[in-house]
Amino acid sequence: MDKVQLLLTLITIAIIVVPIVGMLLAYQNNLLGLFIPPEINEIAEDLAGGGGTNGAGLEPPTMVGEPEYDPATQTFSVSFQYKNTLPFNITIKSLSGNIECYEHGFPLGNASLSKPVSIDRGKTGTLTVLGTWTDEAISHFETAHKDEEFVDVVLVDFAVDISGIQLQLDQSQMEQKMQVPNPAYEG
Amino acid sequence: MNAILTKFNWFGLAGGATTLVVIAVSLVYPWWQLTVGDDLLKVNASPVNTNFGVLDTSFTIPFILALNIVSLLTLLASGIAMIIYSIIPRKSYSKHLLGFGYKKPLFTVLFFVIGLVVTTVILQAVLSLNVPLMGSTTSTLPIPFVSGITLSVLLSAGFQWSFWLAVVAAGLCIAARLYHRKVAPTPSATTAT
Repeated sequence: MDKVQLLLTLITIAIIVVPIVGMLLAYQNNLLGLFIPPEINEIAEDLAGGGGTNGAGLEPPTMVGEPEYDPATQTFSVSFQYKNTLPFNITIKSLSGNIECYEHGFPLGNASLSKPVSIDRGKTGTLTVLGTWTDEAISHFETAHKDEEFVDVVLVDFAVDISGIQLQLDQSQMEQKMQVPNPAYEG
Repeated sequence: MNAILTKFNWFGLAGGATTLVVIAVSLVYPWWQLTVGDDLLKVNASPVNTNFGVLDTSFTIPFILALNIVSLLTLLASGIAMIIYSIIPRKSYSKHLLGFGYKKPLFTVLFFVIGLVVTTVILQAVLSLNVPLMGSTTSTLPIPFVSGITLSVLLSAGFQWSFWLAVVAAGLCIAARLYHRKVAPTPSATTAT
């Protein structure tokens, strides 16, 4: 065999064998580490720990202030505070759901996030949710809840987009109950 | 003029130089990039440097790093061999250098694309996760043991300009092999003309 050809063949073998054997020797006492670096475990621990009350780094949002209602547009707004206990900054890009009467299960309207909210890790942000009552909902308030200043409602078919991850919960998984001012209440 | 054109294998010279540029570029710019959500997870893949970015943490997988070193050294040897061959294409050992160098960029590109396709097929089969090779798609993630929750993520992927530069390098090296017949005709071909 030609010397040059032999040299090139040896170079080819060395190029393939040396790095792989070298890496195998470096990880001979921890072969799993060859495929799963320690950073993956750290990230998994960060996500699992988080520090939230639910153990998965998630805190439920808490309602702040009184809900506001605009009779002219049949819309109301409710503000929530949410602490980001996840180990990374998030942007809540959208949030939506349908509103039902808690007592009667009557569909009342829909709710959505007023604007995207960015919350750095460990910080707390305020989410403003806007809801619109349908005409049927106003009739329902007038007939079924006329004497109540606040009415219990639930948010169903909840969907949220957090930093490009879309989470949809059906009624069995989430029933965010809240009190809203009764648009038909006359005091 | 014809003597200058056939003194060197210009395609080989360009192919070898481009291969070396591809190595340098690929250390910084990935050939293929996958983004999950709004940069929540990023996969930067190239035969010489593959890394993963998750939640502000960047890491490599040691076994893939070893394969990256193999590819880097292979392309480096190929580029150097192609340049040496191109300058002295008529030496007795030049054809060995050409044979050693011209196929490696092409095989690197092919193995990279095949590797990506196989990986996406495995992800689809095992995790039912639809990872695009190019473009964007919203893929639903399986959540074991939980019903009533649908988790979907936006996946965006695409080949970057450094990949196309590698394709050009591979093409130039193949052209160098074809041009070799003009630069260093075989004795029988010379006799025939």
